[in-house]
Amino acid sequence: MSSIEEKITANFDGIEVRKIEEGRIEVKTKKEALLSTLNFLKDEGYGHLGLVSCVDRIEEGIFELVYILSRYLVGGEVAVDQASLIVKTEVPRGNPTLVTSVKVFETAEPYERELHEMFGIVFSGHPRLTPLFLERDIDLPPMRKDFDTRKYVEEEFESIPPVED
Amino acid sequence: MEIISEKKKGGSSRELELYFGPQHLGMIGNFSITLNVRGDRIVRAEANPGYLHRGFEKLMEGRSWIQNFPLVCRVNVIEPGSMEMVYSTAVENLAGVKVPPRGKYIRCIYLELSRIASHLFGLWAYSKTLGFETVGGWAMYHRDLILDLFEELTGGRVYNIYIWPGGVRRDLPEGFEERTKDVLHEIGEKVPDYNQTFFENRLFHERARGVGVVSREEAMNTGGTGQVLRATGLEYDIRKVEPYGVYDEIDWDVPTREDGDAYSRIMVVRDEMIESVHAIFKLFDKLPGGPVYNKIPNPFKWNIPEGETYVRLESSRGELGLYLASDGGRKPYRAHFRTPSYPHGLTILEKALAGESISDTGNIMISLYVTAPEIDR
Amino acid sequence: MDRRQLIKWLKEPLKMSNKYSLHVVYFCTGCGIIEIPPSITARWDAERFGVKPVATPRQANLFLITGYVSLKTLKPIIRTYEQMPAPKYTVAFGSCPIDGGMYWDSYNTINHLDKYIPIDGYIAGCMPRPEAVFAGITHLWTLIDEGKADGYKKYRRNYSQYRSNQERLYGELGWPPRFETEGLENE
Ligand code: SF4
Repeated sequence: MSSIEEKITANFDGIEVRKIEEGRIEVKTKKEALLSTLNFLKDEGYGHLGLVSCVDRIEEGIFELVYILSRYLVGGEVAVDQASLIVKTEVPRGNPTLVTSVKVFETAEPYERELHEMFGIVFSGHPRLTPLFLERDIDLPPMRKDFDTRKYVEEEFESIPPVED
Repeated sequence: MEIISEKKKGGSSRELELYFGPQHLGMIGNFSITLNVRGDRIVRAEANPGYLHRGFEKLMEGRSWIQNFPLVCRVNVIEPGSMEMVYSTAVENLAGVKVPPRGKYIRCIYLELSRIASHLFGLWAYSKTLGFETVGGWAMYHRDLILDLFEELTGGRVYNIYIWPGGVRRDLPEGFEERTKDVLHEIGEKVPDYNQTFFENRLFHERARGVGVVSREEAMNTGGTGQVLRATGLEYDIRKVEPYGVYDEIDWDVPTREDGDAYSRIMVVRDEMIESVHAIFKLFDKLPGGPVYNKIPNPFKWNIPEGETYVRLESSRGELGLYLASDGGRKPYRAHFRTPSYPHGLTILEKALAGESISDTGNIMISLYVTAPEIDR
Repeated sequence: MDRRQLIKWLKEPLKMSNKYSLHVVYFCTGCGIIEIPPSITARWDAERFGVKPVATPRQANLFLITGYVSLKTLKPIIRTYEQMPAPKYTVAFGSCPIDGGMYWDSYNTINHLDKYIPIDGYIAGCMPRPEAVFAGITHLWTLIDEGKADGYKKYRRNYSQYRSNQERLYGELGWPPRFETEGLENE
């Protein structure tokens, strides 16, 4: 049986597969091919979406989306010592839109909602992109690198006067 | 705060919207659920988190690698130990620091102790919700005995910051092993009482059996881990699946149940506690000598090479992960916690509540081990 | 009961019964809550001090604000506080409500809680141990005795200031409704 790295490279062109540490394989894919990659990996048994995250690479002008996949089962048995996959894709910071992966992995729903709120990424086709954690609107999504939380605190909270009796 | 708003729906039966939490006697933690009910059946439930959001991941980007320890352990108040462990391991992976064998053993002992403490807290919350205040009182007392051990070890009752990149902060004090064993014996002697009063009690069985069923397929589709999955008969435990520390050097079992309901989950928790007690004895038996930590560079000038890592381990609630990226500087570039309660509380809870009765909301929520600070971060 | 106590009871029965039956609102606002279950169960037993959690704010007269207050939590805190009948006391836990504590630079936690609701006392520590909680409670008794725990009166006197601070955070606060403050200033 060929390894998962070989299978991925055989099935998709222009995909980069690389081992980054013990038990972790990085898969870099194009934005357009993301859904088909995730679908393919799910069919290969990588049915456990652990995390959807985003890294703001501000110098390169991109958001790097990170999907971490692992296996629950291998051939009906609990998967032991199987590598996890770190699937990555890029969206431009100027126009951060991406198609939602909720249809492939139900788990992605709250994660994408959070990323929408914290980074301002728009997931098209997502069932509810309503605010999850924040109470008030912040002009710039707070987890972006150019959002200065200390300045925000200065301006919004420290400027409120104490109550004088 | 319960505010009821009425919505006319077609037909004669009305659907009500009921706010459950954050200020509510049945709510453990600062969390809220909006229930749509018809009669006393829940039609739809929507989790509403965010009351404890502090923006940890943003704050971590502004503090140095070492300064982040006090932050990290506050992500989960109930079990800070595993939080320290996941962050330390990630930093070690990035910086290439090794841990000496004695350090690894002590880490595992500490982690198992905090797992028991966390499960006892969960038992308190659960039994209190079902009205077994006595059992809750015992559980709280036994948890306190373990916290006393932590206090002796580190000086802190809840937030210990004991695990450190390169090992643990200091060696076990003299006589610690005996005192730990005494405490575990004391808890162990109480197990028949716990069984008689709670785990074998008909009231508990009637309240918990067949309630909040999460099938194996459902759990696997929605990112369930920990007890949620083990209560469906799958022996999925990161300590076995991807061993860290010294869990592969001792011999222990993964307890499971078959039905996937609240009862199975709580029974898995009970068996896990007992298994952890045995594991601690075995760890003490094998405890090697030697140093407990490897020196790390001056933490105030510690630049960690560029790279990224994903670490996962088994906390008392399920799979806990941390995605940590460095750009070669003194501070993390990005950190993102994968907390087990996140899928449990936001996806699985909403599904499990539908169709159940209102009075079982707390029952289901706590049996899924939903912990609000972990979700909100 | 010694004579002095008895005289106090006869003179000011209401104040004394308030003091010895502090009923706590059941609201977990922050991470300090983790020390409350040990305090109210057998080992530390807060009921020795007359402290007991109750179900609704309408029955309570003590509000323990256990830790950091995020923006989303402050709103229920204000609502809960206003629902409590006077006399009511608030005690804040830990360094976070005092000045932000370790979350001083977080975009979602407010730094000085006493800008939004009055606080009668703070318990220092991160987080306060059960003993510290009890020290805080017994100190609150002294304050009540001396008439210094008068946060709720301060709230009424300076209602417009508190309200405008709250509204600076949230914009228009729909609920609780604004009270008539005419004629309350001198009470
Ligand atoms: S003072 Fe410490 S324990 Fe209390 S809320 Fe703040 S961080 Fe948590």
